[in-house]
Amino acid sequence: MQVIKEFLDTFFSDVGVFDAICVTFQMAFCATGISSVLGILLGLLLERADFVGKKVVIRINRTLMGVPPVVVGLVVYMLLMRRGPLGRLNMLFSIRGMILAQVLIITPIICGMTYTSLVSRAPAVRAFAKTMGADRIQTQWLVVRELKKELYFAVVTGFGRSISEVGAVMLVGGNIKGHTRTMTTTISLLKSQGIFTEGLTLGILLLFMAFVIQSLADFFQKGEQSDENY
Amino acid sequence: MKIIDLEKRQGDFQMKTGSFSMEEGKIHGIIGGNGCGKTTLCKLIMGIVKPDRGRIDYEGLEVGEITMTAQRPYFIQGSVYENICYPLKIRRIRPDEQKIDGWLARCGLEEKKYQYARSLSSGEQQKVSMIRALIFDPKFIMIDETLSNLDPENLELFEQVILEIQKERPVTWLLISHRLAHIYKMCEVLHFMHQGEVLASGSRDEILFGSEDERIRRFVANEVIRMEEKHGAFEG
Amino acid sequence: MKKQRQWLAAVLATTLLAGVLSGCGGKELEAPAAETPAEAPAETPEETLAEAPEETEPAADEADAAPVEKKGVLMMATTTSTADTGLLDYLAPIFLEQTGWELQWNAVGTGEALKMGENGDVDIVLVHAKASEEEFVANGFGVERFQVMYNDFIVVGPAEPIAHTEDIEAAFKTIQEDQLTFVSRGDDSGTDKKEKGIWKKLELDPAQNPNYLESGQGMGATITMADEKGAYCLTDRGTWLKMKNDADVELQLEVICEGAQDLLNQYGIIAVNPEKYPEVNNEAANTMIEWICSEEVQELIGNYGVEEYGQALFTPNANE
Repeated sequence: MQVIKEFLDTFFSDVGVFDAICVTFQMAFCATGISSVLGILLGLLLERADFVGKKVVIRINRTLMGVPPVVVGLVVYMLLMRRGPLGRLNMLFSIRGMILAQVLIITPIICGMTYTSLVSRAPAVRAFAKTMGADRIQTQWLVVRELKKELYFAVVTGFGRSISEVGAVMLVGGNIKGHTRTMTTTISLLKSQGIFTEGLTLGILLLFMAFVIQSLADFFQKGEQSDENY
Repeated sequence: MKIIDLEKRQGDFQMKTGSFSMEEGKIHGIIGGNGCGKTTLCKLIMGIVKPDRGRIDYEGLEVGEITMTAQRPYFIQGSVYENICYPLKIRRIRPDEQKIDGWLARCGLEEKKYQYARSLSSGEQQKVSMIRALIFDPKFIMIDETLSNLDPENLELFEQVILEIQKERPVTWLLISHRLAHIYKMCEVLHFMHQGEVLASGSRDEILFGSEDERIRRFVANEVIRMEEKHGAFEG
Repeated sequence: MKKQRQWLAAVLATTLLAGVLSGCGGKELEAPAAETPAEAPAETPEETLAEAPEETEPAADEADAAPVEKKGVLMMATTTSTADTGLLDYLAPIFLEQTGWELQWNAVGTGEALKMGENGDVDIVLVHAKASEEEFVANGFGVERFQVMYNDFIVVGPAEPIAHTEDIEAAFKTIQEDQLTFVSRGDDSGTDKKEKGIWKKLELDPAQNPNYLESGQGMGATITMADEKGAYCLTDRGTWLKMKNDADVELQLEVICEGAQDLLNQYGIIAVNPEKYPEVNNEAANTMIEWICSEEVQELIGNYGVEEYGQALFTPNANE
């Protein structure tokens, strides 16, 4: 670890690149994890439940899928600031605050994607489960298992959104060196200093790491379905 | 089982079955033109579709004892073997691998046991879905055109299987098929559906040959002509 | 019914699209006063912006007779402080009215502003980091540096434990020794360089202070962060006054150090060298320099903010 840190520090300006990478992934994994659980549960619930105004809720969900992160950032900032309603939690300019903002951004995306794939695929699975005599829990479990790929894709999308996001993270995290500075806010900072090449290098590094994580996830996903030969 | 005035609206199609009953332990068949509501009736019985009005008296039959196979069966992601084991798994029954191997061998699928189920041909899929429906000994089995893609030998094989099971234990069958010969051969009781309504129920011969109803006679005549054009004379 | 709905959707979408396109088109055509309109819609706004001065040069010659007529765009790179304080918003319309050049600016850190000049992306830079500015000219990117005005830096923070003082060195020493929370810009901007310079002069390493934070953001965001954290920070007075006056949430920080000679902040204006980048709008840049150093404008700068904030934000000194 120390070796990597030193290597990065010699290559990049004094902006704390190594810490930024750690912060980025710490934040992205936590935010994606929480959002996945929330988003998938909400998606399942939304597909199962039938209530007045469901269409409106879905439309709101769709709108939130495209919410500008910087707006979420502002809202979370106002909630968390010292004189804001949640000021006591002392979460502004912390990774926890950034995770909160990201959860708000990503959950609707995962929820919406889950809901969409459920709507098109779940009825057939449910009908089948019924013919096999599965009870409600078994049916729901089967639905999740059968839609593994779609859910996986939703989670991966959420993760991509998380590591690439800059607006909300900048506002809520504050881009504090060594604490809440992420790879994207570092790029933004490098740009503001006119150091474009390092910014670009860091951007490529970010993409490369996303690629590696994606490949790893694909690898494990494949391992589970090696018998699949369409 | 008693069907009591089921009503179901699906888009422009209004289903209104009327009332009829299905005697336990017999092989029933539903006949009727395309889009007359045969599949919907099965789904209503299965509980996949909820009726707008009316009810079904299952007469003590429980949900887990009814099953249905579709024309294009659904397969869970996994091998043929995993698919056949699924109904056993949810009942927490240890699968009898020898018995399953026996079934697969009988259907000529022994080589495909560990193949991904969705990669099978449609005929093979229909055979697997039949095995999957029979493996957990349900008491009411609906076969919705599942055998329609099978070649004559395989069709005969499953006709044999149905009759064998019928001798061993009391199972109520409900067959849907556009192969009138198959229906004629298998069914003891027939129900004729027309535009979402069950017009008549009765013994095979009553419906096919003895009906007063113009619509039933016309349907049977058309089917016979169609069959003759396709396969030669109707043996019945 | 369905068909009607499809039609309605198509018509709506087309109308919206047309509205958006014409809106953008309008803006693009507005900036360069007289240029070939056929080219305009095909270009992205950014390109048009960057190329505008070049394209408008011939038009400018024609319009020489009537100075109030629009001649084109002068692109300026400047620091966030001049933009954040509203000074440029105040000066730009007057500049347009008197000279016919429309001033557009990109408010960034001094480092980036000079970089923009080095790349020839702008026509003129207005920044405050004397050493870097002189280097910029020495390297041939700028023509000549003119001093325009100064404002002063102040240290803001909680009233306790540092009492109001003129002694910047004592204040910084206390922060370091007591490990008080201090938010630094950390973005290599003019303000950041000023702050680093003070630490250096005191031979202190702020990184030793665990409560020394680098925000890597603009002045406004840094002040807000200091306010949230109850921390100290070095800021230019203009941004501070503006923030204190305009922010929705009342700032609880106070000025704790001001008036030291070390804290003066001199702004310089430099035209980007046309020998290096022939496409820059040197004519407009020279007009701007002459204009902003004129007595009349210097007086405007000296009076800016007095009414609103009770004190001037900048002190003009072009003629000293």
